[in-house]
Amino acid sequence: MSSFGCPFCGPRPLEEFSFHKTLPNVPGGAFEEVYLRSDDPTDSHEHWQHRYGCRAWLYVRRNPSTGRILEVRQLTGSAP
Amino acid sequence: MSELAPRYSAAALLRARFDRHFWGPLWRRATPRDAYDVVVVGGGGHGLATAFHLARDHGLKRVAVVERKVIGYGNVGRNTTIVRSNYLLPDNFHFYEDSLRRYENLSQTLNFNVMYSSRGVVDLANSDDEMVMYARRGNAMRLAGIDAELLDRDGLRRFMPELDPSLPRRYPIVGGLLQRRGGTVRHDAVAWGYARAAAALGVDIIEECEVTGLSTAAGSATGVETSRGAIRAERVVFAVAGHTGAIGRMLGIPLPVETHLLQAMVTEPIKPLVSTVVSYMYGHAEVYMSQSDRGGLVMGGVLDGFPSYTREPLWHRLEEVVQGAVALFPQVAGLRILRHWAGTNDQTMDGSPLVGRLGYDNVFLNGGWCYGGFKAIPASGAACATLVATGQAPDLIRSFAPERFAAGRMLDEKGAGPFPLRQ
Ligand SMILES: Cc1cc2nc3c(=O)[nH]c(=O)nc-3n(C[C@H](O)[C@H](O)[C@H](O)COP(=O)(O)OP(=O)(O)OC[C@H]3O[C@@H](n4cnc5c(N)ncnc54)[C@H](O)[C@@H]3O)c2cc1C
Ligand SMILES: [Zn+2]
Repeated sequence: MSSFGCPFCGPRPLEEFSFHKTLPNVPGGAFEEVYLRSDDPTDSHEHWQHRYGCRAWLYVRRNPSTGRILEVRQLTGSAP
Repeated sequence: MSELAPRYSAAALLRARFDRHFWGPLWRRATPRDAYDVVVVGGGGHGLATAFHLARDHGLKRVAVVERKVIGYGNVGRNTTIVRSNYLLPDNFHFYEDSLRRYENLSQTLNFNVMYSSRGVVDLANSDDEMVMYARRGNAMRLAGIDAELLDRDGLRRFMPELDPSLPRRYPIVGGLLQRRGGTVRHDAVAWGYARAAAALGVDIIEECEVTGLSTAAGSATGVETSRGAIRAERVVFAVAGHTGAIGRMLGIPLPVETHLLQAMVTEPIKPLVSTVVSYMYGHAEVYMSQSDRGGLVMGGVLDGFPSYTREPLWHRLEEVVQGAVALFPQVAGLRILRHWAGTNDQTMDGSPLVGRLGYDNVFLNGGWCYGGFKAIPASGAACATLVATGQAPDLIRSFAPERFAAGRMLDEKGAGPFPLRQ
């Protein structure tokens, strides 16, 4: 994993992007959402930002065992 | 296979001079038996130390360590070998001090030279405000009888003349916090020493055997499923470091853990330059550095920055570490990097370990050691063995129980909140 495809800027070097957080994946209430994870080694849903580029907030799906990026799209709706 | 290496002593070394077969393997290669009192999953520092103490302190005769790769493959062989107890929170400094004391004597305990070097650990401060924070941490330690010294620039010059604190730097160096008894320990020797000492007490060290499931009946564990068949066990301990999250998933138990990479590197050997372990935070980045006995500069920095199991370190993180190193010692700028690697860390939601029961009365977790668990190995092994053998967590690790999150008793040394990456 050395580059990232930004929906606005196209392929850009990984160091322009910053990971913000893993999205909650354990059902339950606020406690589960904040503190617990079911650590899927092949599919992680995350928020990133193209921080040193267009600064767009992104929804990203990645495979943390291979580094492959499965999906990137603009984050819409409420702020991350 | 030749005979196992005997107990080391001056007389034995003399014998070795004349006996070509003296340096035999350090432990028996065991194959899984049908059943054990305790199966410890994970042959890193924590698993091996737990097994050693189960056999030595609690007299358990049938203990196995089951490792999916080989001993030393995981973080125990990938870390930057720094040991220290310079924490702010009492639950942390008491525990890490116990561990540091055990490290001071570990070569004797294991009859294996782990090369503990009390060369000191210095955290450099960039500002007067940071000095205030260091004074607070140092004073907390001193009140508990743990050594800590606040150094101003002159103190730094005296302690490590190789560093010129007054060079112009974007992040100036105004002083530091020193723990003299901190230092380094040879990491491979810790793994091999514990494995050898545990095996000598009858522990089976089973390599290339991956645990793929837990067998249960009537609400308790009955053993583990492995790539080499099922093994029955009265009790099971998971000490899998970076795979803690994966084990939680395997058992269907969500855990307050994410898996993040930390990388390290070593340069080509040079003449003695860095006499201590020095750590320099600058901006959002960090470098910590020590010089190996071979002369290489061993360096690391912050986590790579996102969940990963790949063990592929990022180049731009390496660049930051090198920039920090050059800011400290401009003369290292031309050095070549010999090796560069990463390990998977089980980063928890408060940056503190998870030691306690895992879902079942007879299943235990010894994990969540984040990027700082090498220094914890001796204390963790002893305390976790007591927990497993007696069912009671000793005081030293009571606040590491995973239930603390639901109870709102986070042990958040940095005060960073529930962000594993920032812990
Ligand atoms: C680059 C780097 C630098 C570090 N620097 C320091 C430092 O300077 N000081 C410090 O105190 N700490 C440091 N750490 C942290 C420290 O190395 C770890 O916290 C500690 O080693 C983890 O415990 P361990 O030794 O038991 O882990 P490991 O050696 O990783 O042992 C876990 C073992 O479990 C095995 N395993 C996993 N899943 C299974 C399974 N299903 N079945 C069987 N076996 C399995 C793995 O193969 C592995 O061998 C560093 C870590 C890294 C990566
Ligand atoms: Zn962009």
